[in-house]
Amino acid sequence: GPGILTRSLLDAGFRVVALESNSDFLTDLQSLENSLDGQLKVIHGDFFRLDPLAKGALKPPAVSSDKVFETLGVAAVPWRADVPLKIFGIVSQQLERNRLWRLLFAMYECSSIYRYGRVELNLFISEKEYTVLTAKPGKSKVYQALTVLAQLGYEIELLHKEPWSSFATNLKNGGLAIPKAGQLPNDHFCLVRLTPQQNLFTGGLKPSNASTFIFMVKQSFAKPKSKLTDRLNSWSLDNSDALLKALEIPKNAAICNLYPEDYKRLFEALQNSDLFGETFFHDEVLASTRTMN
Amino acid sequence: LLRYLQQLNSRGFHVDELFQKCLFEEDEKEMVLWAIRTVQPNYQLPPPPSPEICKSSLLQDFYSRETMVSYPKLDFSVKELQERFQQQLEMELRNTVTIESVEAAKPLSPQAVKARELLGILRSQWHDAILQALQSSKRSMARPRRMSKHSVLYPYMCLLPDEDYVDIMLQILNDLSPQGESLAVLARELGSRVYDRYIIQRKVRSRQLEKVQEIYENYIQLLAKDSQPEQYLPREYWQKLVAEAGFGPSLSLKNCSWPCVLLMRLGMHMLELLVKAVKVPRNILNRRLESKPIPVLYHVYSFYSNWQVGLIRPHPIFSQLVSNAAETTLTFSSSAMPMLCPPVPWTSPTFGAFVLSDTKLMRFVDETPQHQLLLEQCPLVNLHPVLDALNQLGNCAWKINQPVLDIIISIFNDKGDEKLDIPPPLSEAPKPPTPPSNSSAWSKSFKHEVFLCKKKAAEMHSLRMDALYKLSIANYVRDKVFWFPHNMDFRGRTYPCPPYFNHLGNDVTRAILLFAEGRPLGPRGLDWLKIHLINLTGLKKKNALQERLEYANEIMDDILDSADRPLTGRKWWMDTDEPWQALACCMEIAKASRSPDPAAYISHFPVHQDGSCNGLQHYAALGRDLSGAASVNLVPSGLPQDVYSAVAQQVEEFRKKDAERGLKIAQVLQGFISRKVVKQTVMTVVYGVTRYGGRLQIEKRLREIDEFPEEYLWEASHYLVKQVFNSIKEMFSATRDIQNWLTESAKLIAQSGRTVEWVTPLGLPIIQPYYRSRSTVVTPLCPALSCRKPDTVKQKNAFPPNFIHSLDSTHMMLTALHCLRRGLTFVSVHDCYWTHALTVDVMNQVCRQQFVALHSEKILQDLSEFMLEKYC
Repeated sequence: GPGILTRSLLDAGFRVVALESNSDFLTDLQSLENSLDGQLKVIHGDFFRLDPLAKGALKPPAVSSDKVFETLGVAAVPWRADVPLKIFGIVSQQLERNRLWRLLFAMYECSSIYRYGRVELNLFISEKEYTVLTAKPGKSKVYQALTVLAQLGYEIELLHKEPWSSFATNLKNGGLAIPKAGQLPNDHFCLVRLTPQQNLFTGGLKPSNASTFIFMVKQSFAKPKSKLTDRLNSWSLDNSDALLKALEIPKNAAICNLYPEDYKRLFEALQNSDLFGETFFHDEVLASTRTMN
Repeated sequence: LLRYLQQLNSRGFHVDELFQKCLFEEDEKEMVLWAIRTVQPNYQLPPPPSPEICKSSLLQDFYSRETMVSYPKLDFSVKELQERFQQQLEMELRNTVTIESVEAAKPLSPQAVKARELLGILRSQWHDAILQALQSSKRSMARPRRMSKHSVLYPYMCLLPDEDYVDIMLQILNDLSPQGESLAVLARELGSRVYDRYIIQRKVRSRQLEKVQEIYENYIQLLAKDSQPEQYLPREYWQKLVAEAGFGPSLSLKNCSWPCVLLMRLGMHMLELLVKAVKVPRNILNRRLESKPIPVLYHVYSFYSNWQVGLIRPHPIFSQLVSNAAETTLTFSSSAMPMLCPPVPWTSPTFGAFVLSDTKLMRFVDETPQHQLLLEQCPLVNLHPVLDALNQLGNCAWKINQPVLDIIISIFNDKGDEKLDIPPPLSEAPKPPTPPSNSSAWSKSFKHEVFLCKKKAAEMHSLRMDALYKLSIANYVRDKVFWFPHNMDFRGRTYPCPPYFNHLGNDVTRAILLFAEGRPLGPRGLDWLKIHLINLTGLKKKNALQERLEYANEIMDDILDSADRPLTGRKWWMDTDEPWQALACCMEIAKASRSPDPAAYISHFPVHQDGSCNGLQHYAALGRDLSGAASVNLVPSGLPQDVYSAVAQQVEEFRKKDAERGLKIAQVLQGFISRKVVKQTVMTVVYGVTRYGGRLQIEKRLREIDEFPEEYLWEASHYLVKQVFNSIKEMFSATRDIQNWLTESAKLIAQSGRTVEWVTPLGLPIIQPYYRSRSTVVTPLCPALSCRKPDTVKQKNAFPPNFIHSLDSTHMMLTALHCLRRGLTFVSVHDCYWTHALTVDVMNQVCRQQFVALHSEKILQDLSEFMLEKYC
């Protein structure tokens, strides 16, 4: 676009590194870079195509995060250290959900940008997704696996809400580029700050087993209104009642009524049970991380 | 009674219509007649309708009574055919067939003996557990005070004896692959197995079976060698016999198909019982664990980007046990086996093929039974040509090429051979790397490697099972003569009904099939065998037939060596395109050429004549496109033209120009453009391949070239697919126009909310079954049919290829029918026609004549008129 974000950041006096995916805009940006005496650095790349899964040589705008961070001169810091870098961006409305999922995966596995520490994201996302990210338990349609994982992983702050009408969002054919979301409000573009939680990897959760955790949450939310104990039973976990009792989760609690922290505690408890010892759960995780990621 | 008859009259019906249009079970027909005669003592049954004759201009001489010849006889006596019919009937009444797999020949390990024992004990426990669960669930459903969503299923749980339901469920458990299966598929399968058994039971109880038996026994007179020759087609003869039989139950059952919701719900209910009831002690393989029963099946979800699929998977303990046991019996539904007697001729869209098992004339994708409705509404006489063609294809008798089968089985039971397309056993699968002791140290690349190993093993397992099924069925019928009843898809393409083993299969299955009927080679037969062999090798594609024959004579030494010492000699046959068929052909040539008089040698060997790029041929003919026609061999020519090479050449020219202009990718591609790279894309262009699919095809071909730099794969395939499309546009100008017209029409039709329909030149009505999909959620009711909207994109994109497919199938049926008139054995694999070596020349002639006849019709004009009338 016209570079509103970049301009405001420069005006505010920050050192800015711009990732530009469109080569048409690159030349102008580069001349701006040259005239700004080091305040701006331009890289040909697309933030949402960092570290693609496909093998083979990367062709811009796909870039590897290693390369970007090297150019940035930002070194990796431990997870509990302060935020090493702030990222600003606009999530395009196509594939918005997929992009959020990919960021979540990267964070839980401490891969891609999260290899360098708790990178802070400041993203414009649709109100619809914002509603999902911040939903409270009990609302079966809105409260989803994404919600649980995001709320556990990020501190989520709403910085600004801008009505869609402020943007020229019409498509070439005159239609609205912003699809109407059926049940969720979607009248705004929301600037949301996502700061990874410092205490995410405490207890049993580790980047190495995080994919199992994500898998467990996704499996649970496949049928959000069903009872948690039914789900546990269908995984051939036979002492589920005792387990729920120890966790003080009511026996008839539905999947969508549990708090995100409950899932983390459940996961920690399951670590010690035989469920994850069984190979089949591993297989499922392996297969599904490939398709989900 | 009088009042009823008056009412009938006042509503505009005639009493005769009761007998002409209604279906009867048991002695209903007699009872109705008796009732009418009590008030109208002189009432006479209406005379049977005189048989109607199809008036299609393409088949005037075929159906003309004057030139009618008697139907060719099979090499069986009435008595033999009767015995075979009895065998078939018994098999269908038993519903399933259990056969020894070809692996049974392997020696048994002590581990396997033990595992089989365990499984045996477990199965009898499971049987009791399921039976108990079933009965208790029925009891709870029957309680009238609680109306649950399941109560509606209660009647359907009472149709069969309890044992039958248990059988079906245990069978499903046995067949489940270690990777599991989607919930919806399993539920539908369970539901339809109940339905199939129910239908058979109904046919037996309504005495329909007795009548079929009675008519079939007379029908044999048409086919048996020791009976009078009759100038009837199978369908006509059957209809005549039915009309003569007069009373008794109707042959078609009253409409009783179950909606898919019902099948799914019933299946889900049974699946639920299965998941809950079947348990295995967890320590069965490892005595050190504590003994606790755990479910054998568990329920997980798989995610594909934004949607999820429910899966049922077997517990690894169970899979391990099954694999240890290495059981060597296979159970198939009786309709998965070839028939042991000539199929019941198709006489209507609802009757034909197997004796008892319900078979659809047109296969349909689930939830779209629109074709069946369309077929039933269509005047029966319009369907005669299609029914007769299907009967013709189904009446071909087959037998097994035993020497080839034995060689294949020996390799299969050894280590398999991927190069020869014999899938190796799982013991040959790559071993996953040993995991680090502590699972948290699993690195991403390690996980990925394990995943790849699992994936490979899963692929190998399914290939292996597929081959095991085919070979075992072939082995089961190795000493028998058998038949493949045929039906068709919605475009009229014909398929044999038995799904695993049939002549449409791969090289391996085709190589073990022979015509049961033998014919002398005749003067040209041996030459045709040799040419056929060279065709199978894929060599000499650019050479004339004469040159292929000469080449075969040159390498006669290799051919004989292959035939005599297939596994120990020089193995010439192994390096061919279709090695197994080539080997079978080598053996036939060896036998024929060594016989004292090759022309008199009786050969059972099918010789194939393969269509070359049929889609483009039809387009070129429709568009009267001369240059296009020449490049796809529609114009006489000394040398076979190869459209793929021509396209490759054209692409190469474009590439050169681009390379000179400095286009990087064009330069990179220098020396890589070949016939092989473009072939699949050219072939599928007419069948509607998109740029997206075409790029994937080309990328795959480029990937196979080791020297091609991997980093350019995407760009190169992207570039090439564009050039292939451009080249075709250049070479087949009219084709594009026709395709565009078809696409545009389909788009307009679909946008108006209707479904694209047309009628083939043979009178077969066709409707495209593409509707907007909904996710298959198992519990809620499926939407009513009427409110489903057509899927515009699919309706539009699929119309040109479907239309061409329907023309191609029309051409095949015309050829089949006219070959019948000329006394030929004829079968087809879509565009590849098979006959005896003796009759290849006649078949080739008929094939060409019928192509010309078909395209002499005003096909596009007729289509246009049909659409104007229907949609405007």
